[in-house]
Amino acid sequence: MTEPAGQTAVRPRAPEPERKAPRARNRGSNVRYDGFAARAGSAVHLLPAVLLVGVLLLVPFGYTVYQSLTDYDGLSTAQFVGLDNYVALFGEERFHRSLLNTVIWMVGTLLLPVLLGLMIAVLTNASGWATWVRYAFVLPYAISGTATAVIWGFMLRSDGAINQVLGAFGLDELQREWLLSWPMNTIVMILANTWQAVGIAVILFLVGLQTVPRETVEAGMLDGASGFRLFRSIVFPQLRPVTVVVVGISIANSLRVFDVIWLLTNGGPGWVSETLAVTMYRMTFVLSEYGHGSAVAVVLAVIVVSVSWVYLRQQMPKRG
Amino acid sequence: MIRRKSLVAAAAAVLMISACASGSETSGGSDDTLSLNGDRADFVEAYEAVGAELQEITGYGIDPRNVPSTENYQQVIRSSLQSNSATDLIKWWSGYRLQDLARSGGLVNLDAEWEAAVDNGWVNPDTAPSFSYDGHVYAMPMYKSYWVIFYNKKIYDDLGLSVPTTWDEFIGNAQAIKDAGITPFFATQEAGWTSFIWFGEILSKLDPQFYTDLMNGEASYTDEPARQAMQIWADMYAKGFFTSPDTAWDDEPALLKSGEVAMVPMGTWRNAIFTENGMTDDDYGAFVMPTITPDVAPSVIIESGVFAVPEKAPNKDAAVEALGEWLNPDVQEVWVDEINDISANPEVPIENPVLTSVTEQVQQSEPMELERYWEASPPALVEGNVKDLATFMVQPSPDNIDATLQKMQERADEEWAKWEQG
Repeated sequence: MTEPAGQTAVRPRAPEPERKAPRARNRGSNVRYDGFAARAGSAVHLLPAVLLVGVLLLVPFGYTVYQSLTDYDGLSTAQFVGLDNYVALFGEERFHRSLLNTVIWMVGTLLLPVLLGLMIAVLTNASGWATWVRYAFVLPYAISGTATAVIWGFMLRSDGAINQVLGAFGLDELQREWLLSWPMNTIVMILANTWQAVGIAVILFLVGLQTVPRETVEAGMLDGASGFRLFRSIVFPQLRPVTVVVVGISIANSLRVFDVIWLLTNGGPGWVSETLAVTMYRMTFVLSEYGHGSAVAVVLAVIVVSVSWVYLRQQMPKRG
Repeated sequence: MIRRKSLVAAAAAVLMISACASGSETSGGSDDTLSLNGDRADFVEAYEAVGAELQEITGYGIDPRNVPSTENYQQVIRSSLQSNSATDLIKWWSGYRLQDLARSGGLVNLDAEWEAAVDNGWVNPDTAPSFSYDGHVYAMPMYKSYWVIFYNKKIYDDLGLSVPTTWDEFIGNAQAIKDAGITPFFATQEAGWTSFIWFGEILSKLDPQFYTDLMNGEASYTDEPARQAMQIWADMYAKGFFTSPDTAWDDEPALLKSGEVAMVPMGTWRNAIFTENGMTDDDYGAFVMPTITPDVAPSVIIESGVFAVPEKAPNKDAAVEALGEWLNPDVQEVWVDEINDISANPEVPIENPVLTSVTEQVQQSEPMELERYWEASPPALVEGNVKDLATFMVQPSPDNIDATLQKMQERADEEWAKWEQG
């Protein structure tokens, strides 16, 4: 009997070995001692990781917070200025634009790579002929953000490939200065970033699809489900753990996007396409306003941690 | 046994980390070699060549290092000036960017070396302010680039045009070129800093004294000459004289060579790239842009990178001695031959015919020498204003002139106040 084509995105997998029941533990008088020893053992094993995170992450973050409260310029002695850098920041129109662009990037990077990644994974997983199609979408992920920006720069500039192709087909009225006006420049940069970032979403969703038990799909089919209904009710719910990871990665990537913007528009024209990461870089390394730049870094870090925490708290399975 | 091995491994790791922490990558060279940090990869061979010449004279050669990104380079230098990881020599910028470092106390005073060079006739003493802070010299000029208009000779010949000597001829040439379907001028904001070029050129040819006053914070961006310069620029945009503002800066030499663009405003340091691209004086020439009206005093914008010695340089005395010989004609001949630009030492002959024509024009008109916009005001002011000029280039409408200049002046008020506070 042949498998109905296009009915499901799931491939058969090897049956799982039977799980052995866990052995009952000795709950004698030394339980308390065992518990302490186990915790101490865990602490010893965790110590290197905690030290690494502490030295490489928490100490620099603490220093950045301190620096954000000073007027340090990289040369002269830093003076404590309290919250002046934050007050100045939140009063700047440019910072508001940077914040808005960051939100646009987050929404765009959440929607496009996740939805496209899922769609490409499902479509290419369902049929054997599409392996090369899958590679075509996955390969750009191996390209660096810098190379992505250079490639899209060739295409998006006013004298670039896209406008030339439109001109060749007589579609002059569709030609645009893609990188010169807001919000179009932000939107096209999100699309360029999606081209590069969708690969990891495809890979993760493909892995997720391989783990969906065939029996559940067959049960759904016996109940009369097929096509999109089968995917929505049977397959997609079982992709939830992978979806949590893909969305989490997308959120983090959207908030720290830098290279594509810096190379395609330099955050401009003027400041119009800057995100918080670009604003932080410009203030710190171009203007040498280390205190001001550190304040942006702290705001960005607070946003990243808050969004990630809220998201993961809602999505991760509750313990116990 | 396992414990001993672990201890040995830990000790090795500590030694490796210590070795990395010593900053060997950015610190001084050996006894007879001076380390030099820069951000121009295309200068590395020239540094080595001139180092060989300096070694014959002073006994010290040059070990060049390069940081590819200018932003990263500035960060590296600012950090290194306060630590023991400074190189013996650093490449930097003149004007207010040099003053920014000098007033922090991070650079060595070079008054004696400068005076010796002046006494030898190796440098024009009038240029001292570009390399000074508070009346003392802190750097030696790397070269002396004049800002000129490079033009494609074939386009000029084909259209029967001649090098313009008046503003009307200049604009007339541009119109004839435009009518022939060729873009007259290169202009872009793509590289960020490039947005000040046309503003600076037009303003300096409209009122050079106002340009100087504006750069020094003694005039306002909202004053009439600045507004008039923006109006002239907007008119030129309205006539379709410029490339699109997102044209790649790196494409500029190719566009001039291919004849897609007829004229390029740029410092003579760009000459090296034109020659590397296979262009000869049969293909291109250069002229100083004419003044807007004949009664305006002639002027030319000049630019010079500089070499300075950090106070904490490992071989400080040797580095100072080497800079004392930097403008020696024997050293400069090797240097300008490599970089294909004009020496800061007026005695050094120029081989390149395009550069020769530039110096001849300068000698004939004896123009006021003005500092380039990039170095002529406090760095934070310039960095902010180039963003506003970039925005104007995208929408170069007369309606945007006042708003743009107002923003620039507000920033000027703020940044000059910060600068004065130190």
